[in-house]
Amino acid sequence: MISKLRNISFLVVGLLAISVPLFAHHGNAAYDTSKTVTVKGTVTDYVWSNPHVFVKVDVKDDGGNTVHWIVEGQNPVSMLQIGWTKNTFKPGDEVEIDAMQAKNGASVAFLGGASPTAPRRRIMINGKQFQ
Amino acid sequence: MPKRLVVSVVALIAGLMLSPLLGAQTAPPKSAVEEAKPDKWNTIPPIKSAYAGKKSGPAPRHDISGIWDAAEADGGRQPSGAIEHVALTAPRGQGVEGGRPDETGVMRPLHYTPAGLEALKANKPSGPSVRQVPAALANDPVDQCDPMGFPRTELYELRTLELAQTANQVIYLNQFYGAWRVIWMDGRELPKDPEPRWNGYSVGKWVDDYTFVVQTVGLNPRSWLDHAGRPHSEDLRVEERFHRVNHDNMELTVTIYDPKMYTEPWQGLNKFPLHLQPPDFDISELICSPIDMAEYNKQVGSVVASPPEKK
Repeated sequence: MISKLRNISFLVVGLLAISVPLFAHHGNAAYDTSKTVTVKGTVTDYVWSNPHVFVKVDVKDDGGNTVHWIVEGQNPVSMLQIGWTKNTFKPGDEVEIDAMQAKNGASVAFLGGASPTAPRRRIMINGKQFQ
Repeated sequence: MPKRLVVSVVALIAGLMLSPLLGAQTAPPKSAVEEAKPDKWNTIPPIKSAYAGKKSGPAPRHDISGIWDAAEADGGRQPSGAIEHVALTAPRGQGVEGGRPDETGVMRPLHYTPAGLEALKANKPSGPSVRQVPAALANDPVDQCDPMGFPRTELYELRTLELAQTANQVIYLNQFYGAWRVIWMDGRELPKDPEPRWNGYSVGKWVDDYTFVVQTVGLNPRSWLDHAGRPHSEDLRVEERFHRVNHDNMELTVTIYDPKMYTEPWQGLNKFPLHLQPPDFDISELICSPIDMAEYNKQVGSVVASPPEKK
């Protein structure tokens, strides 16, 4: 009985832990996790470093103006675990990346599916589905 | 020399002739360690389910050396924060709404002294926790790449460890923050009034054939104990109990003794599972680089942490 309870409590802790996206340095308070945005545009830079990898994308808005977006992922080790490398993006790539935008309205978003435990979101690179 | 060569060749031929028979009759089940086929560099640990139901040989006596991965979570990583007294979430999945000054309402709150409670409230974590504050208001040393210090490197996102043994030391290499420690086994006493170190002063001894117990003191009180901002004083003593269950599996229990901050000892990890990795496992680098962190904070962190734009 005790071991059963123990297993259940482990499961509960595990589920709670899994349900928490792992934003390592700035909490998920900063991002609107209820909505998915698609960042569609041209890659201008790709930074493979700690604490989080990020990709910079120039997006044309409805008025034809260029808006500079950033999509951040996780640390490089976690990104390697889900198949990203330093060569995943290069400047000039046409991309579509599903992510969650900053609550303050800044054109910064957190990659959906960056955590190994979060649901995968869509990433298109030059017309091809990534993974 | 030629004679030895002949013997070797004969033995090899005999072995080759017999091997199909041996394979059919006596081949033991492969352990998870043997079955894993890692990349040569930046090896990625198999997920925990890869270990399920795998048989393991017996534990060797007085030996914890090897490359060990935290097998608790899929993806080979302890979820953020201490496991046994987790302060990340409220009960019943109430989430990580943040903003709580203390641990009221968490699943297993710690018992603080008045000084401990004051120190807890002064630490403002920005990572996910019931105590989470907006990043602009946080004072987590990690946000500036200050040293994480021991035992936070063990209680927060523990991943892969390499342990090596010499005649008088255990050498402890932690992937997280590239932290290394030396655990003395030469019978020396812990220092009485040491200068503070981020990773402390450690001595260890075997308490039975398969259990190695480490005591660590002299830890810098400017470090936090975990992701939720739990504090410690200069009187902190940490006990780590490495218990090798069998050849492939080890359990790590970490107990915190700090009477200035807590009215009773508490366990950050309780029999936390570690799994032996193949000997050619290459541990990826995961360090905090101030120059990278500054760039990240400039381009990403401070942008998302600023107040909403007025329109």
